[in-house]
Amino acid sequence: MGRYVVRRLLQMIPVFVGATLLIFLMVHVMGDPIAGLCGERQCDQATAARLKREFGLDQPVWRQYLTYMGNVFTGDFGTAFNGQEVTELMSTAFPVTVRLTLIAIVFEIVVGVTLGVLTGLRRGRPVDTGVLLVTLVVISVPTFVTGLLLQLLLGVKWDWIRPSVSSEAPFGELVLPGLVLASVSLAYVTRLTRTSIAENRRSDYVRTAVAKGLPRHRVVVRHLLRNSLIPVVTFIGADIGFLMGGAIVTERIFNIHGVGYQLYQGILRQNTQTVVGFVTVLVLVFLLANLLVDLLYAVLDPRIRYV
Amino acid sequence: MSDQPYDPERAVAATPAGGTVDVSLDAAETLQQGPNGPDGPAEERERPRSLWSDAWRDLRRNPVFIVSALVIAFLVLISLWPSAIASGSPLACDLSKARQGSQAGHPFGFDGQGCDVYTRTVYGARTSVAVGVLATLGVAVLGSVLGALAGFFGGVWDAVLSRVTDVFFAIPVVLGGLVLLSVITSSTIWPVIGFIVLLGWPQIFRISRGAVITAKQNDYVQAARALGASNARLVLRHIAPNAVAPVIVVATIALGTYISLEATLSYLGVGLKPPSVSWGIDISAASPYIRNAPHALLWPSGALAVTVLAFIMLGDAVRDALDPKLR
Amino acid sequence: MLLEVRDLHVEFHTRDGVVKAVNGVSYGVEAGETLAVLGESGSGKSVTAQAVMGILDMPPGRITRGKVVFRGRDLLGLREDERRRVRGAEMAMIFQDALSSLNPVLTVGDQLGEMFTVHRGMSRRDARAKAVELMDRVRIPAAWERVRQYPHQFSGGMRQRIMIAMALALEPALIIADEPTTALDVTVQAQVMELLAELRREYRMGLVLITHDLGVVADVADRIAVMYAGRIVESAPVHDIYKAPAHPYTRGLLDSIPRLDHKGRELYAIKGLPPHLTHVPPGCAFHPRCPLARDVCRTQEPPLYEVSPTRGSACHFWTECLDG
Repeated sequence: MGRYVVRRLLQMIPVFVGATLLIFLMVHVMGDPIAGLCGERQCDQATAARLKREFGLDQPVWRQYLTYMGNVFTGDFGTAFNGQEVTELMSTAFPVTVRLTLIAIVFEIVVGVTLGVLTGLRRGRPVDTGVLLVTLVVISVPTFVTGLLLQLLLGVKWDWIRPSVSSEAPFGELVLPGLVLASVSLAYVTRLTRTSIAENRRSDYVRTAVAKGLPRHRVVVRHLLRNSLIPVVTFIGADIGFLMGGAIVTERIFNIHGVGYQLYQGILRQNTQTVVGFVTVLVLVFLLANLLVDLLYAVLDPRIRYV
Repeated sequence: MSDQPYDPERAVAATPAGGTVDVSLDAAETLQQGPNGPDGPAEERERPRSLWSDAWRDLRRNPVFIVSALVIAFLVLISLWPSAIASGSPLACDLSKARQGSQAGHPFGFDGQGCDVYTRTVYGARTSVAVGVLATLGVAVLGSVLGALAGFFGGVWDAVLSRVTDVFFAIPVVLGGLVLLSVITSSTIWPVIGFIVLLGWPQIFRISRGAVITAKQNDYVQAARALGASNARLVLRHIAPNAVAPVIVVATIALGTYISLEATLSYLGVGLKPPSVSWGIDISAASPYIRNAPHALLWPSGALAVTVLAFIMLGDAVRDALDPKLR
Repeated sequence: MLLEVRDLHVEFHTRDGVVKAVNGVSYGVEAGETLAVLGESGSGKSVTAQAVMGILDMPPGRITRGKVVFRGRDLLGLREDERRRVRGAEMAMIFQDALSSLNPVLTVGDQLGEMFTVHRGMSRRDARAKAVELMDRVRIPAAWERVRQYPHQFSGGMRQRIMIAMALALEPALIIADEPTTALDVTVQAQVMELLAELRREYRMGLVLITHDLGVVADVADRIAVMYAGRIVESAPVHDIYKAPAHPYTRGLLDSIPRLDHKGRELYAIKGLPPHLTHVPPGCAFHPRCPLARDVCRTQEPPLYEVSPTRGSACHFWTECLDG
């Protein structure tokens, strides 16, 4: 088990380097970072040269990358051009997005898994067909459309919620945005659970459990669910990374000042330090979530644990 | 672990929702196991029928398939000849009519700029279908060729390409789009297509690579190799046919998600830019007037949803038909 | 009679039509007796067993006619919760592939102990002790240690022993073993079969042994029922069958076993393939493959003729067959 963890950690390193380098290059292509610095005006030659030296922008890209990563590992994500520490921006933005993601995950687990189990046990019945159709629609309608429509209905027409979220973004105000963020994944969780349940229902060990004379609820909970939920749990684990990276659309619709909002602002203002910093953290979250999934997998499935 | 029910490094497709979401959850994985369903109740089933003819027989009777195929046929037709059902120009706008509702000759009303929503919605189909089809073609060709090469030759090529796909998967799609496309000022559809191909190919790569590796281990392929078949012949005659089904299914579903991705990027202001006519642009433009002119938001949203739904349902139906395991 | 199956009919409703998997099967097992049910795959022998056990997937399966009388009660008439109490406790089943039939994510101790906690209301501790005891019974070395392990950590033979232990747990009156040794190595097959036979004697249980392997049958079975296309074609004490089969299909099966005293002779194979159960031939289902077939076989379905008080054959020309 210990060696497994170490091996997975080592495998993460090249992916982390590759992904952050790619983003670093993309941002570099994004345009002249100095242009954003002098505001609307064009920077004069001397100032531009001085600023470039100051930020190390006269160095070759690979060297800039190395310097940056070196700083990141000491906890220094640099300073945005407006003088604000990037870490400071992060400390206000990340808690909001983490709350949003948490709510989304709770929706996935509670609603997605429940619907999946119900339909998986009733395959081919009207409930199953109905839920399946709804999940297809949810998957198909882009999140920003779902978000705008729900905002229109619940926030404007029926006045159930505030259409936009206040800057503190408490849990209560994030329920609808969390649902919107979760929507597509929720539909996938439902379908995945359903397929998994339906497949395992025909498995030999479930037949054995029935032949042992176990009561139905015990067959379902202890034998069927325990096995069927392994892929679902790992999907949800991996989804943490996707949700945080995808929150940008939801945050824009509901005007939530989280990671997506800061990133969007950073990109609009060509604020390279902010963009690279946030994306680096998101990539890291994604990779750690995947590592978590692999570990969860090993915990849940003894066949992997004892290889 | 060959009996692992779930691959953590699973195929992932771009959707605007959670950045990236797996569309091939139950698609590619089960398909790759081929058409060997569970033993029938009669303990034995062995009537050999072709996978494709069997699938086609199924599809013709599937109402979901028929409806989505009809919707797609209609979309393709109006993309080719939008003027057949919309006489005006999508760019002919009259500010004095801004945000007016439905009226004679203008069934969907007018948007914030006073443009006819009906005409713009019809012309929007052309952009969406074009982006979807071209991006899918690009992704399918690039992904399956690279995947086939990696799977067939293995070794260093495989290792390098597989690590590269890992890197691409680690980048949230919408974020990548914001960063890369924000500097581009071109108002054509090509930057968006290029971006989707750039971030989309790893998904097809994995499926194609997996299918090729599975096929390569088949006895008949080993036999053909032992008989001295050339590599090219092996791939084209024996291996490719096995990889085609999962790639087609995933590509069809991906086509829908690409259309949705384009709309999302356009909504965020980095996808297509005016004067391109795109549902995403129109939805974005209409969202500030959501209170007093919801029609300008609802029509393009509806068209977008129906289009994406049609492609995803088509892919879903094809997958069910090709995958007897789920029957 | 411990178990009596009477005129059982089972159908499956599939996309390709109605599959008649079992068409009027009758057999009986006395307490302490071993009945071997012999047949190729698709002959309906497993489906019959599943119907007896009450673990048939319904739908698509459907029992259209018949009775399963066990210790004087018709099981098919019981409510599901009454039926459940019979399963595992009074009759138990051993499956072919122990690896897939055991739950991969639970320890063998949990899976064995479950029999005691559910049916006998024992505490988990006591159940665990019982599990170790059972594993000892089926001669798994270091049982107290291995009770904490998962199925995949055992060898094939050991896993099948665990399946046997699970079936024995509550000392049922009847065990149904569905090809219990088919998935094992040849060397292990004999050991497992021997163990099963020995434990059966010790506990004085009835045993229904489902197999396609005539070699296994000779040593352990008291009676044999041969199935073909969802029907019993011959039923007889084991020695009678080996001496002189009364059905051409049984003869074909016997002739296709390699025998030392027939050295140098070409091995016999029954021509043709077993029929698809959606399209069972009219008359005698075996007629397309039968060397004795005549016109009457194509039109008239043979009943189970009484060859002797303990023996039956569903062949119009059983006398001819018996004479060789």
